[in-house]
Amino acid sequence: MTIYLDLTRAFNSGRLRTIICSGQAVVLLRLAIASKDGDWILREDQEAIDHVLSVLEAHGASYRFGAPLDLRWLRQGWSSHFQFRLGDLRVRTDFFSRPPRVPPSELQALWSAQEGKDPPFTGPHVLLRIKQTGREKDWPIVGELARLLLDVRDQMLHSRSARDLLALAKDHPDLLAGLVAERPALAVVTQGLDELRLALERERFAAMDADASRIRTYLQASELLARVWSEIEQRTAGLPLRRAHAIVVGYAERWLPTVIPATSS
Amino acid sequence: MAAHGDPRDEFLSEEDLDLRNLSFAELLAWWDLFLHQAQSSNDLDEDEYSHGVFALPRADWPWRRVAAPEAAAPRT
Repeated sequence: MTIYLDLTRAFNSGRLRTIICSGQAVVLLRLAIASKDGDWILREDQEAIDHVLSVLEAHGASYRFGAPLDLRWLRQGWSSHFQFRLGDLRVRTDFFSRPPRVPPSELQALWSAQEGKDPPFTGPHVLLRIKQTGREKDWPIVGELARLLLDVRDQMLHSRSARDLLALAKDHPDLLAGLVAERPALAVVTQGLDELRLALERERFAAMDADASRIRTYLQASELLARVWSEIEQRTAGLPLRRAHAIVVGYAERWLPTVIPATSS
Repeated sequence: MAAHGDPRDEFLSEEDLDLRNLSFAELLAWWDLFLHQAQSSNDLDEDEYSHGVFALPRADWPWRRVAAPEAAAPRT
């Protein structure tokens, strides 16, 4: 059993509090083994936070630069980051409660669908939204995730393959017409393979730019906290995580805004 | 989808997609092996974030160009 599955079971002891997402979910969907860090969608309540902190504390985890694992920041899309050593492994654990680009209704459906699952992890529909990042390396994953979607409408809205889309359009012309407003790239299906490829690339670059802009907004908002982070590290060095957490929260209340300017999430 | 024999857009390698043919125990073994082998790059990504709202390469963080955090730390 890998450390990430062990952690997930510990996080979810007694109730579902966390859902594996991103790179480790890609492994569980059997698409690729491509990430050595773990991240989870965290249930947005205080008991879940307290439990996860206690599990991480038992592993000797410490905070990396980021927001505190606190509802005030999590509700605004911030992420919290920890790491610890386990033998020769550097284990990184990242958390957010509001994954980017995932509508609240889909997030709620994910929590419902993963209840009782071992391990709980994001399916292709949510995961491909999370993976629509500014990083080139995530887009091949998005392409394969779209092929895992069961619903034809969802395939037409998310496929990254021009060839797949042409075939879908041929088989479902009525559906295509109704989806152009939601996905403008579909408007050029009638113009053939090359034009559709170009439209898909324009769509992808726009999504990459939007994600990078979103992250820069958070980074700019975290500048003051960054300036005191070395002081935080000194004050929390060697402390059990929950004592360190209280210190991080204290600094964040002064130096890290909870609400930031509108993002595209 | 493309008909049998037609060209197909490929996103991931055959080796990646072959994970589908592993048993769950074999998948876990590969996963664990990868995690251990991937530790060799820890020094290179010490300051990097692979997830969340800091997942831009550190060199692209906007305020890193302004001042080193330690140099301009306000007092608490």
